Amino acid sequence: MSLSFPTMAAIRFGYGFRPGEAPPQNKDDLIGQLSKGAAATPDFPLGGPETRHRAILSLQEQLKQIRQDAKSVTDDTTRREMRNGVQRQAQQQFQHDVNLRLMQAVLSPYGFYERLATFWTDHFSTSANKSLPMRLIVPLYEAEAIRPFMSGRFGDLLRSATAHPAMLIYLDQADSLGPDSAGGIKRNKGLNENLGRELLELHTLGAGSGYSQADVTAAAMVLTGLTIDRKEMDIAFRPNISQPGTHEVLGVSYGGRRRSRDDYLDMLDDLAIHPKTAAHISRKLAVHFISDQPDEGMVSDMAAAWKQTDGDLTAVYTAMLGHPAAWQNEGAKSRQPFDYVVAGLRALNAGPVNGVVGSFLAANQQGTDEGDMAANTPGMAGSPVTTDPAGEGRDRRLKAFRTARALGQGALKRMGQPTWLPPSPAGFEEGFSAWITGSQLAERLAWARRATAQFGRDEDPREFLKSTLADAARDETIRVVSQAPNKFSGLTLVLASPEFNRR
Amino acid sequence: MNRISLSRRGFLTSACCLAAAPVFTPVTFAAMPGDNRFVTIVLRGAMDGLDLVQPYGDAGFAALRPTLALTPDTGLLDLDGHFGFNPAAADLMPLWKSRELAFVHAVSTPYRDQRSHFDGQDMLESGGEHVAEEKTGWLNRALAVIPRSDARKAIDVNTSTELILSGPNDVDVWASDSNLAPARDEMQFLTRLYAGDPPFAAALAEATRADTASMMVEPDGQRGEKTADVAALAANMLKGDYRIASFSITGWDTHIGQAGQFKRPVQDLAQAINTLKATLGAEIWTKTVVLAMTEFGRTARQNGSAGTDHGTGGCALLAGGAINGGRILGGWPGIGDGQLLDDRDLMPTADVRELAAAMLYRQFDVGVDDLTGKIFPGLGFDKGSQFLRG
Repeated sequence: MSLSFPTMAAIRFGYGFRPGEAPPQNKDDLIGQLSKGAAATPDFPLGGPETRHRAILSLQEQLKQIRQDAKSVTDDTTRREMRNGVQRQAQQQFQHDVNLRLMQAVLSPYGFYERLATFWTDHFSTSANKSLPMRLIVPLYEAEAIRPFMSGRFGDLLRSATAHPAMLIYLDQADSLGPDSAGGIKRNKGLNENLGRELLELHTLGAGSGYSQADVTAAAMVLTGLTIDRKEMDIAFRPNISQPGTHEVLGVSYGGRRRSRDDYLDMLDDLAIHPKTAAHISRKLAVHFISDQPDEGMVSDMAAAWKQTDGDLTAVYTAMLGHPAAWQNEGAKSRQPFDYVVAGLRALNAGPVNGVVGSFLAANQQGTDEGDMAANTPGMAGSPVTTDPAGEGRDRRLKAFRTARALGQGALKRMGQPTWLPPSPAGFEEGFSAWITGSQLAERLAWARRATAQFGRDEDPREFLKSTLADAARDETIRVVSQAPNKFSGLTLVLASPEFNRR
Repeated sequence: MNRISLSRRGFLTSACCLAAAPVFTPVTFAAMPGDNRFVTIVLRGAMDGLDLVQPYGDAGFAALRPTLALTPDTGLLDLDGHFGFNPAAADLMPLWKSRELAFVHAVSTPYRDQRSHFDGQDMLESGGEHVAEEKTGWLNRALAVIPRSDARKAIDVNTSTELILSGPNDVDVWASDSNLAPARDEMQFLTRLYAGDPPFAAALAEATRADTASMMVEPDGQRGEKTADVAALAANMLKGDYRIASFSITGWDTHIGQAGQFKRPVQDLAQAINTLKATLGAEIWTKTVVLAMTEFGRTARQNGSAGTDHGTGGCALLAGGAINGGRILGGWPGIGDGQLLDDRDLMPTADVRELAAAMLYRQFDVGVDDLTGKIFPGLGFDKGSQFLRG
């Protein structure tokens, strides 16, 4: 082992050190986080899942009302204003959720669990940009369809992610009908193969693994029937829009004279334990956590664990952590922007209970912003309460809110990794060279300056370096930091150092 | 040069700007009038060429696309009596009429059958015959073999590197709204901090170069992240000593409700090209070629939700004062019975790599052997290429 176990565990498998928090001491500590993390309710969506379900329905209702009202309104400006109000509400809720998710990663003692949540949410990418309701649905998706299933069987995770409204909307499954089904004929609509394709290419077997266009089309046919109940904004299975007959995917027939939910569930289960799925996802995990060119022995150990356990993910993670390559060649990966920002806030998060960063961000959940905050959202379930709409207190909160946004989502957007807004169904870029560029470095420097100015008042750069990087700090970094011309410059250099940007 | 204000950047005049100095000086600027420029735009998500440039003259087109196909009677802008322009691209009509715009229909990479965006983009940008065969981008490899060394300077306008420009040759990556702004004495500490870590040292040097150049061309301008800002930054860098620029336009993955979804990316594309022309100015525009290309086309038939799924043959766009446009290039395969690939996609009749090779040949005199050996391995290309007449 090149570095101490806790350092490797904190930086490679978590979001870095947080002062006052003990890093994992052994592999059992890391694996133990899985059940503890799953048992804790995520901080998002704002107000909890039940409240969010109601908020989604309420948004649907408002949109419907606007569409109805719009029929009698001829003035374009009025029509736009009606829609803008609802848009602003949804956008605000989204901003709050983004902030909550960031805080959770900063404050959670279960770094490995949090990193896995980021990995799987990215693996099963959905984007909040797809439609207005998706601003409210995507945070719920991570909370209820991804996080609870990350340590069990992959097949269960695949089922929960595939059949969540977020996925059905994002990959257009809600609009796919069997062309020869009764419903398809009646509505003169037919197949949309988007989800069928990404299911094989991205979510299970992997691109270039040998499936054909016929498999894609057949998988899309098997999936017909799986759709959304728009009234309830919940998943539904409707046999009358299922393409009749049997459909062969990778040599296995699904369906029959009567189509049922079991057809697509059987297909997902078969795909989940397919050896190509095991190989594809084991490799992807190893690439994400350890190296762009992972040790082949490690990948095959993971795939073997997958095979032995029918895709038990805890067994797969255990195989990864159990391989010597997991603990060698530190710093081969670059921290992605979310990882970088979270690690930076964790490093700066000294202080009691939630630390200065936690208190700051929490306070700003109740902040206010012109035309952008809770004061404009009467009756929105789950919205934070706003008091004192005017005066000095308001100005102070406004400034603080803007700073928080600049350090959080604003920075992530500029760095190219805005939360829940991946550029494509394939998720965010993974490789080192995608993230370590001139542009990226400029953004990270700007962030480091701003974050240390905000939170670095009580820090000594030399102590900060120790508590932040421990034995990962190189001699040259220790020298440069200790010679920095002033305190903030020294703190910035720690966050700008290659060690802090690598993992 | 005297219009260039350094007021935002006191540091540029201090010692730390030594590293940036060679990039942009009156001498290099003056030394290079007459040089050609090349811009590639990657249209990510698989643009539907059959929607942008619609073969309304083909019998059966309307039947393939009941709600997507237009005719001149329903708003399509006629181009040549057979093809017509999607009305969302109306802003490109002046360029078409001045013969500074051409379309190349039914092109694709050698990629077939799988129709994955990500593999498709890999092929388009790496320039190989097979997925993952080439690990670097063809435009980066081209830099090494451009005969004139002063034409080897490229900028990728993006937050992260695109495959098309990634590889061993120096390329600067810079977002349209990036800003390095190091404190006066910070630079020397950063230089020391990164001395032992080559990728970080290279990134810092890149940031310094690009930041300096972008500040020089737009000293006090408000720069944003919209397509027009991206295109304006690219053009401004090309007015300086960059000769090659690349950026992307996304939003082409129109599986559903395409009639509405298609407008925005088409308008972005039109705006990007018009901004390039306006910002470069008349003289440089005559030496410029813009090549916009996509990973593959979409299904000839619209799908069950008034969109299109992943197909094969697509459409590329050429623009610039240097091209002989106002024409639809490429071999049109037809869309009738038996003419589609797999009874599903527009049949590719040419390799989009040949089009790219032709532009490298014509803009920078890149040798044929280099084009078919190093840049596009396995490609057939000679000086008789149809695209050199384009």
